Amino acid sequence: MIDFMIILFGMTMIYIAGTSRIDVYVRALFMQGILLFLLVITDYGTKHLGNLIFLSFETLVVKAIVIPMFLTKIIHKNEIQREVEPYIPYFYSRLIASIIFALGFYAAYWSIGKAPDVRPLYFGTSVSTIIIGLLMIVTRKKIITHVIGFMLIENGIFCLALSIAKEMPFIVALGVLLDLFIAVYLFGLFINKIHDTFAETDVQTLSHLKD
Amino acid sequence: MMIAMILLTPLILSILIFMRKSEKFGGVCNLFYAIVLLIASFRLYLKPDSFTHFFGTDQVNILFLLILAVLYLGVSFYNTEYIKHKKASAYSHALYAINFLLFPASMAGVILSTHLGMLWVFVEATTLTSAYLIYFNQSGSSLEATWKYIFICSVGIALAFVGIIILSMGLGNSDSLFFDDLYKNAKLINPFWLKLSLSFILVGFGTKVGFAPVHAWLPDAHSESPSPVSALLSGTLLNAALLGVIRVSKILKLAGLEWYVNHLLLLMGFLSLFICAVFIIRIKNYKRMLAYSSIENMGIIAIGLGSGELGTFAAMLHLTAHSFIKASLFLTSGNIVHRFGTKNISEVRGLLNADKMTGWLWIVSFIAIAGMPPFPLFLSEFFIAKSLLSNGSIFYTILFFLFLTIILAAMGRSVLRMSFGDMPLTDVQVSEQKKLSIPEYLPQLVFLMMLIIMSMLPGGFLNLLEHAAKGL
Repeated sequence: MIDFMIILFGMTMIYIAGTSRIDVYVRALFMQGILLFLLVITDYGTKHLGNLIFLSFETLVVKAIVIPMFLTKIIHKNEIQREVEPYIPYFYSRLIASIIFALGFYAAYWSIGKAPDVRPLYFGTSVSTIIIGLLMIVTRKKIITHVIGFMLIENGIFCLALSIAKEMPFIVALGVLLDLFIAVYLFGLFINKIHDTFAETDVQTLSHLKD
Repeated sequence: MMIAMILLTPLILSILIFMRKSEKFGGVCNLFYAIVLLIASFRLYLKPDSFTHFFGTDQVNILFLLILAVLYLGVSFYNTEYIKHKKASAYSHALYAINFLLFPASMAGVILSTHLGMLWVFVEATTLTSAYLIYFNQSGSSLEATWKYIFICSVGIALAFVGIIILSMGLGNSDSLFFDDLYKNAKLINPFWLKLSLSFILVGFGTKVGFAPVHAWLPDAHSESPSPVSALLSGTLLNAALLGVIRVSKILKLAGLEWYVNHLLLLMGFLSLFICAVFIIRIKNYKRMLAYSSIENMGIIAIGLGSGELGTFAAMLHLTAHSFIKASLFLTSGNIVHRFGTKNISEVRGLLNADKMTGWLWIVSFIAIAGMPPFPLFLSEFFIAKSLLSNGSIFYTILFFLFLTIILAAMGRSVLRMSFGDMPLTDVQVSEQKKLSIPEYLPQLVFLMMLIIMSMLPGGFLNLLEHAAKGL
């Protein structure tokens, strides 16, 4: 069951990598939030009830509802619909995403020898998610897609943190969540500002400062 | 108690500023917090203390805290006059003043953290609290700079978090991320994961330090932000992020992987010098020139840290001196921007004629950053070169001096061109109305005097540095 959910999580990444519609990205973020929530409640156990409640809140409320809603609001306000022509065609970026997954699993199974308590399926998926998130940021042109790429990286990191049994102290986890939340909020504010100033939300508008 | 004061005073003051929304009141609050910070830091220096398990002072971070406190006092003194030239709504001024309080507080949080996770939280907080400060001019280019800053740094810091998770994978049975426990158990950590984790953390926190391949945000943010903010970014933020790198590399040193850390640090350091040497030659904007010089100096510090015991001591000396000199340069550049209304090197002429004091501060600060005696950078660069030589790496030493010479020549040309010559005639009448007042000269003067005294009569200061270097 857990494996199935992780594989679903990975499939959302491959799907995103080859599509251009931004509302699909947001829907995928919502799905990932739900999947992470299910992973937390099935896999985490009841060692620390407080942490379990906190993580459920983080995934279900923040990752699956608040952030997608906030992004949708920005998208509507700035009338962004589709990603413009990316630096790499969608077909190739889906192909590259699949290759990243293959390499990620290879690395994960290879590294079991180094640390026995790492679960390869989890590890491979989360590492690949982080790398595909970075790939999205470098190959796409809309600023909102960059923010979504950042959120995908964050989801990958969350998954990576779940893959090891240990967890951060409560106060640190709280700080991490707060920071991310403010970061996404700031991103939103600045996207609005960029839209107002340049009447455009592509990264090309942000290339005046250089040497 | 003192630490609680450092971290909580800004929160109370921010509420007051938000209620009153006046630029003068904001400036006064900043100055008040700077004094609180300075007193608290000196008390902590005399009597180490801790606050909950997550914050505390030790022999390393007290140096960083003192630099932050002294520098912030000078910069906020400058700032009280500086904000009077800035036309913005009362709301913007209030936001500026609030962030100007929270930013140093979050840096103090980074410096005082005794837990790796907590340190991460505060490093991210520094990005968020300084974003508005960089945006304060509200132009298109400052918007671009801010966006690059928050986005690149957020992604970088996210990678640092991956490093922290990987580190805890290698921890085995213990799961504490307190630095003391990590140092104690350093030998038990799985070396494979430890090395991997350092790579991520070096890239992650290195983004904030401004190490070369991941420095892209630095010149933009430093050149587009108001000058007091540039001074804080360059003089204190880079240090605070560097402390994160230093703390983690100590784990590897204790685990017997010193060669790995040293090689990575040397690589990053020389790359930073190289990038700086390439870009600074053709530079057109003097604030960007200073920003590249910050990249260079962070590179020198990395080289020092990566080259043995003497190098580590020299790196601490370099870090202290660089903070004050660069703050002085950035504050002076604020005067030049105010006077001439441009950041282009080619449009500034006759600085000495236009404003004697600013001109001399500009030249003397340049002499200081160039590493001439009597300023401490001379000693630190000399020691770093000596420690490189004693490691037997003559090639590295030659490379080191080659890059330094190129950078020095490029900076010197720009600084001298700006300082001498005749002022354009059209500017003569204008500049009469743009007189500057004492707070806009005094901090730089004090910083430079302090450095000279430091290198003449080291005394207690030397002790502080040696303790810090031993604790690394």
